[in-house]
Amino acid sequence: MLGYLLRSLIERLVLLVVVSVLAHAMVHLAPGEPSEVDPMNPRMKPEDVARLRAAFHLDEPLHLQYAYWVRDLATGELRSFKDNQPVLPRIGERFMNSLPLFVLATLVIWTLSFPLGVQAALRRGSRFDRTTTVLAYALIAIPGFFLAYLVIIAAVQVLGLPVIGMRTFGAETAPLSVRVMDRIWHLALPTLMLAFGGIAMLSRYARAQMIEVLAADYVRTAHAKGLPAETVTYRHALRNALLPFVTMFGLMLPGLVGGSVIIEQIFAWPGIGRLGYEAILGRDYPVVLTLNLFAAVLTVAGTFLSDVLYALADPRIRLR
Amino acid sequence: MGPRALLIGLPLVVIAVLALSAFWVPGYRSADADNPERAASLVLPSSADPKILNPILHADTASGRVVDLVFEGLLDLDEDLALRGRLARSWSVRETAYLVVPPAATLADGTHVDAETLRARIEAHAAADPALRESLESVVVEPPQARLTQVDLPGDKPARAMITWQLPARLRLELAAVDQDLELRLRPLLGADYGRDWPGTAQATVEPAELREAALARPGAAPPPLLEHNPTITFELRTDARFHDGHPVDAHDVEFTYRAIMDPRNLSPRTSDFEPIDRVEVLDAHRVRVVYRRLFSPAINAWTMGILPAHLLDDEALRQEMERRALSPAARERFGLRDSQFNRAPIGSGPFRFGRWLPDELVELQANREHWGGGPRFARFTVRTIPEPLTQEMEFLSGALDLYTPLAHQARRYRDDPDLRTHAVRSRGYTYIGYNTRRAPFDDPRVRRALGMAIDVEAIIEHVLYGEGDRTTGPYPLGTEWYDPSVTPLAHDPGQALALLESVGFRRNAEGWLERDGKPLAFTLITNNGNALRKAVLGIAQDAWRRIGIQVATQLVEWSVFLEEFVNPGQFDALVLGWSMGVDPDLYQLFHSSQTGPRQLNFVGLRDDRLDTLIERLRREYDRDAQRGLAHDLHRRIAELAPYTFLYAPRATWVHDPRIAMRGPAGDVQPLRPSRSGDMFFHLERWDRLSLAP
Repeated sequence: MLGYLLRSLIERLVLLVVVSVLAHAMVHLAPGEPSEVDPMNPRMKPEDVARLRAAFHLDEPLHLQYAYWVRDLATGELRSFKDNQPVLPRIGERFMNSLPLFVLATLVIWTLSFPLGVQAALRRGSRFDRTTTVLAYALIAIPGFFLAYLVIIAAVQVLGLPVIGMRTFGAETAPLSVRVMDRIWHLALPTLMLAFGGIAMLSRYARAQMIEVLAADYVRTAHAKGLPAETVTYRHALRNALLPFVTMFGLMLPGLVGGSVIIEQIFAWPGIGRLGYEAILGRDYPVVLTLNLFAAVLTVAGTFLSDVLYALADPRIRLR
Repeated sequence: MGPRALLIGLPLVVIAVLALSAFWVPGYRSADADNPERAASLVLPSSADPKILNPILHADTASGRVVDLVFEGLLDLDEDLALRGRLARSWSVRETAYLVVPPAATLADGTHVDAETLRARIEAHAAADPALRESLESVVVEPPQARLTQVDLPGDKPARAMITWQLPARLRLELAAVDQDLELRLRPLLGADYGRDWPGTAQATVEPAELREAALARPGAAPPPLLEHNPTITFELRTDARFHDGHPVDAHDVEFTYRAIMDPRNLSPRTSDFEPIDRVEVLDAHRVRVVYRRLFSPAINAWTMGILPAHLLDDEALRQEMERRALSPAARERFGLRDSQFNRAPIGSGPFRFGRWLPDELVELQANREHWGGGPRFARFTVRTIPEPLTQEMEFLSGALDLYTPLAHQARRYRDDPDLRTHAVRSRGYTYIGYNTRRAPFDDPRVRRALGMAIDVEAIIEHVLYGEGDRTTGPYPLGTEWYDPSVTPLAHDPGQALALLESVGFRRNAEGWLERDGKPLAFTLITNNGNALRKAVLGIAQDAWRRIGIQVATQLVEWSVFLEEFVNPGQFDALVLGWSMGVDPDLYQLFHSSQTGPRQLNFVGLRDDRLDTLIERLRREYDRDAQRGLAHDLHRRIAELAPYTFLYAPRATWVHDPRIAMRGPAGDVQPLRPSRSGDMFFHLERWDRLSLAP
């Protein structure tokens, strides 16, 4: 086990280097240049553009640019093209803004999906099953941004409640309790919007898995033993049905970076997804590359986590 | 508790907490105008967050809006976009001209002169010439001298060379006004042969000598011309202007701001605007003189840019900031103005002082009551970053924004709403179809005009812009004095268009397509992806042209590919694009024949001698009336040449609560109004919130 962990760790580090090299090449070779080097600004002369390119090392060969990026990232000196501010603290700040959204949405998705899926599987073909199926497919099919628009209009026009951003504008002087509840309320809609899509998707998987497992012999045996129905479904069946989800759980981690771009954009949430989106539009390479590396680290960590969880969850699997 | 209860209970508790928090939310009560705190601030949306709050560094609109309120330039633009004083109480434009007196100079009448004799002759000549008599104040002999020029040689191994020009005696002519025709006025005296071999006779030494060839070939390495124009502007600063930290604004701040822009380490995007300046001289605490290298009248507009506080940003201040922030050695090495925290919390001298900046949320400014102009009436000015138009609208309708610009199709609805006020303001931009004039058949202006006639621009404005735009006929922003309103737009007349095309040899073939010498009239119209308006224009133009028998293909291309593959190398037939224009009438980069190279902005490849002369004259002209005449000539010439089919200038509609109004000088109430030039916020300092709508 320990050998496996060590070997896998080294493999993944190598993978990260490869990913960062590829990403660096792709980002630089893709057409477009940082908006600071905008050739369509009629006031900028070619000399000015050349000066800016030199300052950003854009005139040097790609491998050197990569080396500069790694060096600056390692020493914490990496600065955004946009405003010369250090990249890492900014990413950290935005990460903390996005984290509650992600944690709450994940929590809701990864709990509620299972009872829904289990019920649908148990009562296959019933009205409940058909209703949840239609709802789930509707939620999968309706674009998230459209639903978000509807929800925002409803909240503002019907309930008269502010929903934009992380807090109510103009409420800085309110008492602490109000400010805390206000922050929680502003989390509510984006979280639920994020959760809806996830629940729709995951509950379908849960249903499919459960249907398969419920037909298994040991479930019948458990029933025959006279165990309570809930114990059979939730202890015996669900546990086995969960195995494929272990993989999905690990793969969910990179969603921290890119999972909520649209929701953050619509709700004017100053999160990490929006930071990345705007960095890509402005070709802010240091931010794009660092966020990409961050996402890669999360992906690699996620698959690693999946492997370990698999070993823990399924005694048939041995890591060597 | 069983797993089932946990799986159902936990999310329900989370959802319940999230939902129930709604009962504590202050709601829009705190955000709308009934809250006195809120009533004292003016709140606006911005679709993007500012990038950098420094007048010499920013290049984006979101930063520009904030920077323009926190900082103040020597000059700014009045309602008609003419210059007026801000930090400068007054300014005067003069000229110093230098005339080289080559050894053995010969005048028109054949006499050989030295500098001293020529001086006397020029004074006598000026007394007889009415224009010169008025402007020429003095002529002084400057003895021979050496002029040192430093040039940087780029390349694999950047080097620096020093060029020394041995100049003969020169005459210094002091003129009360800038005169681009000085040479013409002196010509009768000097004769056509005067200084004909200049600068061939000039002596240059280059240090190090082996770089001579390369150094002399660099721009800026040339010796001074026979007649060198040095326009000078002297600014008188106001004595009552102070930065927000109480430090007075003086001539040193102006000089510092200029140096900061020109410092290559700071990577200022404004360098080109200030490049024509030779030097900035501090005459005394409140007087600065700016000496320009050559005639370039738009250069004065650059002084509308905000002035930086030298005491907070000079080398000493930056060194202290490094100490305070305890930066690493690597960071210290690269530390410059661009890295300073000043750009996140700026201190200027404008009517608003910086309050706070929550990135991607809001920027808040506070009224500067110490301002020499009295400061604004609103206590706070807040710009909230809200990327989506829909959420902006929701916030506006709930009262959490005081004004905003709805999308074009919503504008009419707001205009009809009796509870709200709207103002349609023109933007300084326009959209056009540009033709690659290097390629046949676009090399013929008649073809370009015919293509323009085939398009129903009014219909585009009505159906694509929902009426939120104006027809435009030329390169200048509508409503400015440079725009010639007498130029009539091309009439929409497909029959006439067809006739015009037939007159240049196109005939309909059996299938109904136009062709000339067996070659069909077929081309591709392109534009960038992501702009819905341009995409609509693309379809409409294609349809209009097909109707008269032109085979048009269309293509949407991602912006950077559009630039790199099509526009920059000039590899396109026709394109839909837009310009956002500045306030000066200079069209050099857009239409001068020298600007047709790759990556230059005359990508339609227009070359016209008359246009070139007009463009050059205009940028050397300092008299506003003469400038206007030239600009109108230019406008007409471009309309004639039709390198573009000018389509429309979009309008933006601002909506606001009628209770936001303007106070006149005597406290009287007037409805809000934008400036004549279309700046909604021109009178911002006079804006106020009333309890009742006027």
